[in-house]
Amino acid sequence: MAEEAIIRFDQVTKQYDDDTIVLNNVSFEIERGKFYTLLGPSGCGKTTILRLIAGFTEASKGDIYFNGKRMNNVPANERQVNTVFQDYALFPHLNVYENVAFGLRIKKMKKAEIDRRVNEALRFVNLSGYESREITEMSGGQRQRVAIARAIVNEPEVILLDEPLSALDLKLRTEMQYELRDLQKRLGITFIFVTHDQEEALAMSDEIFVINEGRIQQSGTPTDIYDEPINRFVADFIGESNIVPGKMIRDFEVEFAGKRFECVDQGLNQNEPVEVVIRPEDLEITTWSEGKIQVKVASQLFRGVHYEMLCYDESKNEWLVHSTKKATVGDEIGLNFGPEAIHVMRLGETEEEFDKRLEAYQGAGYGK
Amino acid sequence: MENRARKLYLIPYVLWIGLFVVTPILLVVYYSFFDLNGNFTVANYEKLFTPVYIKMILSSFWYAFLITAFCLLIAYPAAYFITKSKYKQLLLLLIILPSWINLLLKAYAFLGIFSTYGAANSFLEAVGIGTRQILFTDFSFVFVAVYIFIPFMLLPIFNALDKLNPTLIDASRDLGASAWITFQKVVFPLTIDGVKSGVQAVFIPALSLFMITRLIAGNRVITLGTAIEQHFLITQDWGMGSAIAVFLIITMVVIMVVTGTRKRGVQ
Ligand SMILES: Nc1ncnc2c1ncn2[C@@H]1O[C@H](COP(=O)(O)OP(=O)(O)O)[C@@H](O)[C@H]1O
Ligand SMILES: [Mg+2]
Repeated sequence: MAEEAIIRFDQVTKQYDDDTIVLNNVSFEIERGKFYTLLGPSGCGKTTILRLIAGFTEASKGDIYFNGKRMNNVPANERQVNTVFQDYALFPHLNVYENVAFGLRIKKMKKAEIDRRVNEALRFVNLSGYESREITEMSGGQRQRVAIARAIVNEPEVILLDEPLSALDLKLRTEMQYELRDLQKRLGITFIFVTHDQEEALAMSDEIFVINEGRIQQSGTPTDIYDEPINRFVADFIGESNIVPGKMIRDFEVEFAGKRFECVDQGLNQNEPVEVVIRPEDLEITTWSEGKIQVKVASQLFRGVHYEMLCYDESKNEWLVHSTKKATVGDEIGLNFGPEAIHVMRLGETEEEFDKRLEAYQGAGYGK
Repeated sequence: MENRARKLYLIPYVLWIGLFVVTPILLVVYYSFFDLNGNFTVANYEKLFTPVYIKMILSSFWYAFLITAFCLLIAYPAAYFITKSKYKQLLLLLIILPSWINLLLKAYAFLGIFSTYGAANSFLEAVGIGTRQILFTDFSFVFVAVYIFIPFMLLPIFNALDKLNPTLIDASRDLGASAWITFQKVVFPLTIDGVKSGVQAVFIPALSLFMITRLIAGNRVITLGTAIEQHFLITQDWGMGSAIAVFLIITMVVIMVVTGTRKRGVQ
């Protein structure tokens, strides 16, 4: 991995005329050769970040660096990035070959070289033989591949992909997820991939930026983010979660649902109010007396691989349980979980504070 | 059942086309084969290829070309600007508005503006150039014609530009094209159908302009339209007038075919 970031945002703020802040003081670094995902709900500013990187729009405040050089004022056509647009934006008046060759022709490349690279790019995306097809004759999945070929053929340092899979049906989407990930590995180009689909993000990324309301909420590897969400938004957005109010009694002991439990979190103040996250698949159903907490089953759905149960404890906390075992609606059952299943979130903790606390743990010999 | 209903609906249309399009054209073709004395002849067509008429045809084409070219040069950038503006609808309305006013009225207005003591000359006087003969010149003719035809050029171009997906422009820039190359390689090719419609809507009527040739150009410019008018109303040579009309009709069909829009899958 290169020691220097290929793209760096330094306190970038973006505001359109009508003074709503779309991006609020966003800073991050993108390293060479990795697969990054910008994940967040619709309207949170993902496309805006891509547009800032590509150069289609300007930052209101802050600096954008490319290989250490400030590039706020470099026009889009002089940037070493290529975009795969959400609606593909293929040129309808050109056929597949000419679409892919577009960037090379602009660079006044020799005909033989263009031919070689276009054919190679089309082979890469499994579209050999489609050169003379019109764009209107291509299916959604094929158009998407043409759009990717049109980007990779220029051999940019970074490829930006704006929800490229969202228009595809589920089966094709899953297939393309594998293909994209595989493609990125083969090419070794940095990918910045935008999606609002958390499963897609978890499956594909080296690193995820979770974004909400124009701010990066948390960044990290998929497992980091899944296992240690920093706040309620991230916990809720990434997979399903049970989030209940609690109190940190002391290091390694937390109180919720009216009881005290052993946990693995530390570095918080004594008696500090916290939120406790337990993933539904980490809850195990057992008999009333053997459970760590006692709940009543309110409803149950069969989800194919597992049963999904909605339960309530005596303090009226809601517990979502994923279990391969079946329960009966109306039954009172017990729920079991280990200390590692409990994740404690500090209220209003920022990502830096969270990272600092984590480092402090590791200094204290904490490791998972 | 349904088929019969559809045929029923077609009746007014067929009647209209038959009475007001097909019959007049047939009549014109018929008249074009008779001379002043009512004898059958092809002399009218032979006369079309004498120097007098060839010169007239060439000058008609030349002026129509000039008018179309200026309209395009003005309308394309204007349409582009309007699509980018916040006040799209208002600006569009302002452009279209003059085309609702009677042509004759506009011609008379220009008579006033361009006359010796009109606004244009007062302005020239004020900036120190001095009074000029503006009316009854080629310039005033082309100027007024361009003014009249601009909405017809602008509307189809505006529609084409407005339909153009703006991400395509981003995509082109993203692939390294400058603004100018983006225009050449993406914007223009994708709006060419609008340009063609605009050219048709201007060039064809401009070929057969009459009235303003007399009012504004003082008959210094004789176009085919003027010639037809004169033959029918003044020399009463309906045969010759019809022959010119047939020639114009054929020219129009040729232009329509040449600039015909091929359907392309524009998103
Ligand atoms: N050109 C624009 N003018 C004004 N507001 C805009 C513009 N483009 C985007 N926005 C606003 O910025 C916010 C973020 O948009 P976007 O980055 O497209 O979100 P996402 O891609 O995450 O769905 C939205 O609230 C959107 O309405
Ligand atoms: Mg978006």
